Amino acid sequence: MSRAMFIKSFQMWVISMIMVFGMTGTSWPHEAKCPHCELDIVQDTPEQDNEVALMYGKKRIEYRCVMCAIADSEKSYKGDLKVLAPSEIKGKPVELVRTEGKWTAPDSTVFIGHKIKHRYCERGYRAFTTAEAFSKHVAKYKAQLPDAKQITLAELVKIALSDIVQDEKKK
Amino acid sequence: MNRLLVVFISFLVLAFHLSAQAQTENETQHQGHSSTGKLQDTNILPPPPANLPDWFNNKKKNHIFYKRGKYNYDTYNIKRLAYDLNAVAVGHAMAYEDMVTGKAVGLDTKTFDRINWVLNNPPKFMPDEANISPTFGRKYGVLELVFDWTHILHAQTVDVLASTDFTEEEKDNEIKALWKFYFESVPYAISPLPMNMAYLDGQPYSGAFRTKYPKVNGLFWGYHWLQGAMYDALLNKTLQQQIDVYEVFGDRYHAIELYRTDRSFMPMFAETSPRFSEKYPYIANAFDNLHMLHDMVNDILASDWIPEPEKEKQILKAIWIVSAEAHKGETPGDVKEEVGMHDHRFMLGMPGMGFMKYGTEDVMFMDNMGWMSMADCHHCSMPLAEGKDAWRAPTVSAEGWTMRTRCALCARDMAAETKGAVIIHLPTENPLKPAVVISDEMGNMTTDSPEIIFLENEKSHRSCDRWSLTFSSLKAFQNYVAANPEFKNAQPVSFEDWSGLRGKKPDTYVKPVGPEGNPYDIQPEEISMENE
Repeated sequence: MSRAMFIKSFQMWVISMIMVFGMTGTSWPHEAKCPHCELDIVQDTPEQDNEVALMYGKKRIEYRCVMCAIADSEKSYKGDLKVLAPSEIKGKPVELVRTEGKWTAPDSTVFIGHKIKHRYCERGYRAFTTAEAFSKHVAKYKAQLPDAKQITLAELVKIALSDIVQDEKKK
Repeated sequence: MNRLLVVFISFLVLAFHLSAQAQTENETQHQGHSSTGKLQDTNILPPPPANLPDWFNNKKKNHIFYKRGKYNYDTYNIKRLAYDLNAVAVGHAMAYEDMVTGKAVGLDTKTFDRINWVLNNPPKFMPDEANISPTFGRKYGVLELVFDWTHILHAQTVDVLASTDFTEEEKDNEIKALWKFYFESVPYAISPLPMNMAYLDGQPYSGAFRTKYPKVNGLFWGYHWLQGAMYDALLNKTLQQQIDVYEVFGDRYHAIELYRTDRSFMPMFAETSPRFSEKYPYIANAFDNLHMLHDMVNDILASDWIPEPEKEKQILKAIWIVSAEAHKGETPGDVKEEVGMHDHRFMLGMPGMGFMKYGTEDVMFMDNMGWMSMADCHHCSMPLAEGKDAWRAPTVSAEGWTMRTRCALCARDMAAETKGAVIIHLPTENPLKPAVVISDEMGNMTTDSPEIIFLENEKSHRSCDRWSLTFSSLKAFQNYVAANPEFKNAQPVSFEDWSGLRGKKPDTYVKPVGPEGNPYDIQPEEISMENE
């Protein structure tokens, strides 16, 4: 067997193993890649909602985290729209509304906007209906979210805008 | 003690020497790498077979032309498409001429600008590429013959689809006749078999062009996108539908597809025209193989480490690899060696596409989509209709891809979940009367067939092809309900009402799983060159 053949066989074996074990994983509902960060969309679990949805006319586009949804809203969509950001309450997302370019959220809504490994970005960028819920979340993931501070919607929009700038620079 | 010290020092010296030697070897190897990470050693280039057919040595012009037919040039019924195709021919020729006349250094700047001007100001008539790239034609005459011959098949099949003189049945017969003419008239035909794309793109020179000239490569892959997408855009549609659909496709082509430099691989025919590819797999495969030949030639010409005479040999080799003659007697599905020249496996449900990199019968990787199955609905994962019933699958065209779904609900909801303008192709009970729905960026839908009626009696997606259907008229709906008592209480749904509905998340969805990550990021790929 040549070296090339051996490497090819080994690669195919590794892939087969990944596929065999991958197939036994959870069946997920319909999903595509996040239009902003191009990573898989984190699905809702029985305990926690994760899917962020952007509502634009009759479209409902899903995103991986609330920061991605706001960034893509600013980058790709003109006009009024809504972002449904999962909160700490299952089945009760926070409605973020953009009207004539101005973002608003219900009073008492706070956010976390903490840079974190992309694998866990749904933990680093989230909405909460109260400051207490934010504190509980940070306590739960204290290893990944040390020193995380609560931020306002305006601050989250600012982070999203700077992410677009970073994205453009990479291109 | 002294002896021990000497042994220790000797050991250190030896270790240092070995380390330095390894470093030198490593450096030598790196200096010997091309920009694509391949070794600059022409010994790794397998020569073409010694007994190539005589026509490979042809240096004569041998101009070949269209099959006679009243449909010729009917692409001009859709003027915008015809002009865009004219510009594609100019773009290809300009780039090739500059590459063989010492102007390659300006390919991504000056040449790009010249081509881009033509793309935005397309000629009204199809130019003769030989006039734009005379040096290239003189040098690689036989290659130009192969290109031209398959480009003629491209042009004539599109002419047939755009014709208003033919019925759908006549169009089908003429496309088959065109294939016979293409395949049997002259020896320059490209193989109609699915070929392994990882093999074709795994040559020692592969990737050189896209690395060196990403912008012009982006244009070339943009042309391939157009040349694939236009088939489903035209198939089984009225002229007005074709014109309306091409307004959406043309906008996307000019705004995005031509300028993308982030594609992992060239656009494949079945990714952009799955209905045509399923119906005429031999044509879809020939076009994919032709487009790969373009890529292989580009890569050879862009590989500075290959001496000129060797480039000519490698181009002949590339022609041989994809030629019909090299695969005589082989059939789709045959595999003499995996990921090799004679690997003709194809995906389940899609005979019109060879295996992609790390693809299997079940899954393939698509940019921005991840691992996908071609045999199942992209929305609910249930198997798509096959064989004589394949036409019953609706399609959704958005973001540069076209995907099949199992039912009208799946198509509508998938459109609503996808950014940008979307085209939905909805077959009715009558194969000759599909409906075309166009959704704008906000999801507002319009159709040229507002009289269509829907059945939407939502249950498990195990049977969605029975409870979510489109009918060309109320009468057709009533006939279906009468023949299927389980729907006796179902109400007809108008287009207006249907376009505002939203189904539940399909209960049957299973995410296709493949190797982790993007397989095109794994470099370098080592492909066996044996057994050719």
